[in-house]
Amino acid sequence: MTRRIWVLTTFLLHRLFFSLTGVIFVIIALVYWAVLFPPQQGTPDLENYFLIVGAFGAGMTFLVALSIASRANEAANYPLVVRLPSRVEFLTAVLLSTIVGAGLLQLLVAALALFRGPTELWPRIMEIPPVWLATNILAAVLAMHASDFVTAGWSRVYVFGLLAFLLLGQSSSTTLAPWLAMRLNNLSANFVQQGWYDIANFINKAVSWLNIGGGEKLADAMGFLFWPFRAINEAVLAGSFDANQALAPAVMLLYATILFMLAADLFANKDLDFIE
Amino acid sequence: MIEIRNITKRFYTLTALDNVSVSIPRGEVLGLLGPNGAGKTTLMKIVAGVLQPDGGQVFPNGQGWPLVGYKPERLLFPNQLRVRQYLEMVAGLSNIPRQRITQAVQTSLEQVNLQYAANKRISACSKGMRQRLGLAQVLIGDPALLLLDEPSNGLDPEGQSDILEVIQSLHAAGKTLVISSHHLHEITQVCTQLVILNHGQVHYRNSMAEALAVRPHVLLRTDKDLTAVQDMLSALHPDIRVEGTKLLLKNEAMAMRRPVLAILLNMGYDILHVEQKRITLAEIYAKAVQ
Repeated sequence: MTRRIWVLTTFLLHRLFFSLTGVIFVIIALVYWAVLFPPQQGTPDLENYFLIVGAFGAGMTFLVALSIASRANEAANYPLVVRLPSRVEFLTAVLLSTIVGAGLLQLLVAALALFRGPTELWPRIMEIPPVWLATNILAAVLAMHASDFVTAGWSRVYVFGLLAFLLLGQSSSTTLAPWLAMRLNNLSANFVQQGWYDIANFINKAVSWLNIGGGEKLADAMGFLFWPFRAINEAVLAGSFDANQALAPAVMLLYATILFMLAADLFANKDLDFIE
Repeated sequence: MIEIRNITKRFYTLTALDNVSVSIPRGEVLGLLGPNGAGKTTLMKIVAGVLQPDGGQVFPNGQGWPLVGYKPERLLFPNQLRVRQYLEMVAGLSNIPRQRITQAVQTSLEQVNLQYAANKRISACSKGMRQRLGLAQVLIGDPALLLLDEPSNGLDPEGQSDILEVIQSLHAAGKTLVISSHHLHEITQVCTQLVILNHGQVHYRNSMAEALAVRPHVLLRTDKDLTAVQDMLSALHPDIRVEGTKLLLKNEAMAMRRPVLAILLNMGYDILHVEQKRITLAEIYAKAVQ
């Protein structure tokens, strides 16, 4: 299995970097470096260095994943897929090639950022891959859900719809709670008209809970899911990870694992309608 | 080897396969015939595991799932690779030990007469070379079940003959093959089992030997219209049929050919043509897809 995944990974990386898209990705990396880390500036601040390279890695991982997934979604791959005992091997190869491809581009920017600067950060550069690996893996898995390669039916809408809902919910508790309370009130009134008093009472209780501060609790609950992102950001700006913050990458990996399992299930059971 | 039982496949409102049951026996060459849109490619893709059926089952009969080699109808390959590189990659996916990959690739190239193009980029390959490459990748790893969708499409007559020879040698080696084709002579030459699909349903299923053995008949053609003697001839045997100047003696009526000939000659008819015919695949096909 390992060998098959590695064969597919090298194939997909070859396909990416020997294409115009691959060249464009390298150019994007160089432009990003030239704009955000001008060589005459010398070594950037440690915090900015970590955040900017990390953000580049996550963004680039998303793009690389979309690009590799679209290549994996080509009809030329039918003879390869039927050779695999499990389709998930192909999905794993897409993930692995994304991590490796985007990781190389990220390391390129990370190394170039230190060009002509003092060398105090050189030992720290090796800390970047482990710190940002979890973010990159999560970005790669999310991108896979956005691609035609993995998506089945409305799955893309469900995944990103839920994400958008959670983002909206955790960032706008002051507007969301009254809006939700109003909608539930209307719903409750409809149930009363239908004579379904028990359901109407239940909804009324929910409305009361929202009106006495439940909305904030709901927003906090939604926001909790985004805690790892905040924790990593805060830890990088603070210069070190405390015990709780050190868990953030692991929680991100957990999210990535759940999303990858969902992707594997979708991919294993869908019709492979590759693009000709 | 593989049992396909009550398979149904729909694409939105289109029913591509409707309750299809087919058995693919070990060591046989199953020919899939049917007009465009009959469901041949869909059935192949389901057996290959590329598509999921909406209903029914595909399961191995006996041992577990065999290693499958699949040649799709469209000749699409990663164009930037060289022929050898591509085959080495397929070999890497087929559990061939590293030290045997070069040999396996060379063997498959020789089997399809493509060794001269081993170092050519796929993008520079002609349609015929791509067709051979499609077959070469199927042969890598010695799969037990080979699914070939239009294997000789786009090849010149010599190339078609080469491909048929390869298929016959694979059959002789005990491989199980499923071939979809519009070339009836190709199916007749290499297939041992026949399935004709139309509108997503199996319209005909038989072994090739039995399919072609049925309905032998004798055809006579005379110089004059036979309507005048139609009743007399029909009275000899109900399977004697008159169609203008043609006379057909089917099934047991074939034994009456001597008396019939004598009657016709006595009545002043000249016999222009006598032929003992067997049913052709074209006739079976035409009737099945009618």
